[in-house]
Amino acid sequence: MLRASELTKRYSSTLALDRLSLDVPAGAVFGLLGPNGSGKTTFLKLVMGFIFPDAGQIDRGGLSTSRIGYLSEHAFYPTRFAVRDYLTTLGRLGGTAASPQAGISVGPAYSTAGGNALRGEIDRLLAQLGLDEFAGRRLGALSRGTLQRVGLAQVLLGNPDLILLDEPVLGLDPAAQKFMRDEILALHLAGKTIFLCSHNLDEVTRVCTHVAVLKQGRLVRAGPLPEMLGARSQIIITTDSLPADLASCLAALSSGITADDGQVTLNGEARAHKAQALRLLLDGGVDIQRLEERKISLEEIYLEVTDSAQFPGSES
Amino acid sequence: MNRVCTLSLFLIRDLFRSLASLVPLAAGFTFYGIAFEYGMDQAQFITVAGVGLGAICLLTALLLSGRANRASFYPFAARLPRRSELLAAVPLGSLAVTAVMALLMTEAALLQHKLTLDFPSALWIIPTWLAFWLFMAALALPLSSLVSRDGSHMVGYVLITALLVANDRRSFLEERRLHWLSRAVTAILLPMATLLAQASAGSYGRSYLLAMVLTVAYAGVLFGLATALLKHKDLLWPE
Repeated sequence: MLRASELTKRYSSTLALDRLSLDVPAGAVFGLLGPNGSGKTTFLKLVMGFIFPDAGQIDRGGLSTSRIGYLSEHAFYPTRFAVRDYLTTLGRLGGTAASPQAGISVGPAYSTAGGNALRGEIDRLLAQLGLDEFAGRRLGALSRGTLQRVGLAQVLLGNPDLILLDEPVLGLDPAAQKFMRDEILALHLAGKTIFLCSHNLDEVTRVCTHVAVLKQGRLVRAGPLPEMLGARSQIIITTDSLPADLASCLAALSSGITADDGQVTLNGEARAHKAQALRLLLDGGVDIQRLEERKISLEEIYLEVTDSAQFPGSES
Repeated sequence: MNRVCTLSLFLIRDLFRSLASLVPLAAGFTFYGIAFEYGMDQAQFITVAGVGLGAICLLTALLLSGRANRASFYPFAARLPRRSELLAAVPLGSLAVTAVMALLMTEAALLQHKLTLDFPSALWIIPTWLAFWLFMAALALPLSSLVSRDGSHMVGYVLITALLVANDRRSFLEERRLHWLSRAVTAILLPMATLLAQASAGSYGRSYLLAMVLTVAYAGVLFGLATALLKHKDLLWPE
């Protein structure tokens, strides 16, 4: 759906992106993580064609930028316009032309048929995002959470195939965060490809299927989230004592199994040998004192790959 | 074209919902108060009001391009297949605002008996002014921060100032034997000067038409320059 190859972007003396290669599969919810200034927003602006790379290429899977929904990090809106007015103007501009699913006509923006279809689409979005009562309100009079919903409405207007969200839950209260999360999951179920940048690792863990981590413009980790988390998860079996021959047998089951000091650890994919390991221990007459599954969190991976653990308040 | 009209209308509404709208309005009122103090005949009206409203057109185009040069415009830019559509909306909006102001100004002057117009020859004012204003609106594009790259708009301001000063001091240039510079300045400004002079004299022959074509061509060249500058510009709009 979206592929970046050796993407490099420099702002005068600052290297914002350094040979970034990324592959976003169709239908994925792809989370891009990284410290402030690591190049996340730069990447989104490159995808949208707002800025141009110094080197490398972006393949948007044949999509024009007008078929991509984009929600910017900061909610900047023409404050003196009403919500419906704002959405109507955006709808008339385009991004709706090649949208048979949305029922928006391809014809002139001012045609009666196109206008009716656009009005219907906006009504549907306002209802879907709980913005009915705000339709006539000025954008400048709305709260941050409501503005973010308006932002999502403009993103979804015209039924885009690819959706880019820059910090979609930034500054939102827990209820608004949940609303945004549910919307993202609903879009994922509808088959949309979603690419989001976030600092909210809990949010990313809940909604993303794929994750990539940037550090100083470089890609330091990328892959499907379950694999990333699973590869680092462990099952730890604590015993009273572990005979050397039994430890050898356990280690022979998988290279991912270590056994010493009365403790057997099944790392990553070796966790599949849990039943066999337990049977060997029980058959060997070993007293099992504790069985513990330790799942690595995205936060641990993030801190590890970005070397952020040394900052005050962070956990190692 | 629909997208350009929609965007243009939005820019006008955005401008007139902000305090910045006071700038062209104040300029219009001030110009009216000064220019029409002693009344005008049609010949004066064509040149004086044409140039005055042309300046307001340029000012309005700069203000509209400023409205488009902000982070709130990302969703709009994202929906445009070509950046030139964003550019086209600016002169269109500026022309529309100036045309409305010209209409109001003309009506006010006629009602106050400060202007006499002869019909149907007065109808030639419309294409004359539109061509001139189009040039002025297009001139504003390379001078705007929306289009500017690496301070290119400052170069534009310097060049225009130099051109106007040189035009004002042509006799000085002649005295210093800088005939070539004097002739160059005359040649550059000739289409617009001829357009207004011919219309003012009520002569709508071949010279007038050629001047109009060249003025519109100037506008086309300026629009092309602005499009080329904006085409590969990084849109890092103030947030």
